[in-house]
Amino acid sequence: MRKSKKMDKSSVFEDKKVTRRSFLRGIGALGLGVAASPMMGKLASAAVPKGPLKLTYWDSENPQMTPWRKKRLAMYLEKHKNITVDFQSFPFTDVGKKVSVGFATGTAPDGFTTIDFFIPSFTSRGLIAPLDVQQLGYSSLKAFSDDHPAAFVAGAMKDGKLYAYPQWWYGFLNYINTKQFKEVGLDPVRDQPQTWEQLGEVAKKLTIKQGDKFIRQGFKFAMHAAAWTVIQFNPILIQCGGAWFDKNGKCSINSEAGVRAMTIRASIIRQYAAEDPADTVATHPLPMMDWLRERCSMFYSHPIPPAAIRSQNPIMEAEGYYMPVQSPGVDPNKRYASCYGVISVISATASRDKQEVLHDLLRFMYSDVIDAWGATKPFLPARKSGWADHPDVKNFPHLQELIKSRDNGVLLPRSVVYAEMTDIMHRAVQKVVLTNANIKATLDTAAEEIDRATEDFYKK
Amino acid sequence: MIKWQINYRLRLMLWGILFISPTICFFIIFKYGPMLWAMWLSFTAYDMVSTPKFIGLYNYSSIFQDPTFIQSLENTLLYIVVAPAAITVVSLGLAMAINTKVRGARIFMSSMFLTNILPILACCLIWRFLFHPHGLVNQLLNPLGFGRIDWLTNQYTAMPAIIIVTVWRFAPYFMLVFLAGLLAIPNEIYEAAAIDGSTGTSRFWYITLPLIAPIMFFIIVVSSLLCARIFLFPYIITGGGPGGATRVLSLLIYETGFFYMKMGRAAAVSVVLFVIVMVLTIIQMRAFAKTEEH
Repeated sequence: MRKSKKMDKSSVFEDKKVTRRSFLRGIGALGLGVAASPMMGKLASAAVPKGPLKLTYWDSENPQMTPWRKKRLAMYLEKHKNITVDFQSFPFTDVGKKVSVGFATGTAPDGFTTIDFFIPSFTSRGLIAPLDVQQLGYSSLKAFSDDHPAAFVAGAMKDGKLYAYPQWWYGFLNYINTKQFKEVGLDPVRDQPQTWEQLGEVAKKLTIKQGDKFIRQGFKFAMHAAAWTVIQFNPILIQCGGAWFDKNGKCSINSEAGVRAMTIRASIIRQYAAEDPADTVATHPLPMMDWLRERCSMFYSHPIPPAAIRSQNPIMEAEGYYMPVQSPGVDPNKRYASCYGVISVISATASRDKQEVLHDLLRFMYSDVIDAWGATKPFLPARKSGWADHPDVKNFPHLQELIKSRDNGVLLPRSVVYAEMTDIMHRAVQKVVLTNANIKATLDTAAEEIDRATEDFYKK
Repeated sequence: MIKWQINYRLRLMLWGILFISPTICFFIIFKYGPMLWAMWLSFTAYDMVSTPKFIGLYNYSSIFQDPTFIQSLENTLLYIVVAPAAITVVSLGLAMAINTKVRGARIFMSSMFLTNILPILACCLIWRFLFHPHGLVNQLLNPLGFGRIDWLTNQYTAMPAIIIVTVWRFAPYFMLVFLAGLLAIPNEIYEAAAIDGSTGTSRFWYITLPLIAPIMFFIIVVSSLLCARIFLFPYIITGGGPGGATRVLSLLIYETGFFYMKMGRAAAVSVVLFVIVMVLTIIQMRAFAKTEEH
């Protein structure tokens, strides 16, 4: 039966005569196809050299993303026998260091995975090459920009050129334990905190204390890493009308808005007594451990994979008594969080041939968005088109909430001394929440330190 | 004849040089070369990518105006003074306890030494849990009337916590060194002192301590050098926090060089640490020389 159908189809083509009308119709269809293809990522490959070519690519290790990348790479290499890729993956914190040493010693990889907030550190030193959106499968920069979150595009552009290709892009959400909400008579949907004040009040209701010991903390901010400190503080600062830097590039976190933001950040401890920053079992691989173990009712996090929930709390995962909701806002109508993503960049030191192959490789790797989603959910593909409506995707729990947080998210600060800046802010937050330090004085010191770090950078 | 003697001496010298040349080359390439390179880097701005740019004494003037550096310097000095002293006292106490030769002392010694062979990462993680606000340390202190102590998140207790871990880790090792010294003291001296009516305390002050003074000096110097370079304990247990309360110079060097890519500045901090260690060693050597003369 199947065979006969095939036969029928081929016979139709064979019988068809090429008329002027059918030719023009064909050209029109081709034009439409080309116009639509950037959205679908189905453009033909860029010119890939025929001769043997060896590339190096360093990846940031992730239990979901790395195996999927390896699978796609193997598929690409199967199609291009003349190309070999030395693909190595390292823990996230090591990739940056290894790349720096690589650039210093002339052994940098041709391409590597990083996080978008490091882009200025690379572009300011001229270490990464601008990308050609057409080689990535888009007809123009506008088509590319339309197909990706505005925040990513804003952060990846310099002097009108694009420097990074995003694979996953997501925003932070407030993960709530719906069972604990119900236990204290709260409705998870109706009573979800929309402002930081509401968050404090709700957290207070959820908190259970026994003497000086928290049996359950209402809400927890992450304290385990400087990067998370900034990710969590950033939206509060912006919601308060503040900014990390003023027009002249001077650090302005010690402004009135900055002080207000830090007051909000510390209020869960100081005002509502709903959090114990010293009492945590969080780890670097699982910063949300307190929430997973139900030691806190709400936690502010990037999308949490169901597998991670299952590994620590199979009952919570099986019964599904959790829900990600949008971050609270200073204004209930402006609820947004920080967003960031996993990106690929190409080294400026890579030869022209290698750069072209890397463009082609990246385009191929991320062309099957459904497959990417299947392997790495709930980390959202950075691309807007061609996946969210797919039947395999659209029924994923809370998908629209995840997409909303991605698309409304605000960028993390752009600084040439980003790593140093996050450490300074982390120290400032520690001083305020752990040692009850004066907020204004602490932020004044932090702003001075950030300015000094920036000044030192430009000394070279 | 004279000519032959000179040739012989020359040949002897050349052979000598030949034999030690691999060691000299090793030290030049892997030790003194990098040290000189680091000293030179401390006068430059170098981000590991661009060519180092000479900026004179800027790195030095800049770090001494930096509160983070000053805080790290203070932390390091506190740590170098307190931790070796505590290690010396505890290891001597342990050695003397074992030297009493009571039953089970050997087993106790072996089990104590386990702290030295456990992987340092595992030790640090275990101590993090022990120092948790509701961890074992607080549970043990609770019946003694102590309230909750936030060991690792309080600026006043974080450094003592790191020092406790350091002593726990290194004291058993130095205990063995002390024990070797104690066993080398002839028993006759103690017997003669006992006949003269000396008490246990006076025997300790006038016999044991003077005779193990060289060992004590060795332990103070070695543990000071060890503590000056300490890195993993604050890095893993507190990450230098809270608010920089446990950030020591070695941690600052690592962060400045490899996280912030400011190699010139990191080199300047390294030179300061080198000077501290040198000064400390010279002071200790002189003090010991005076004690020996005395």
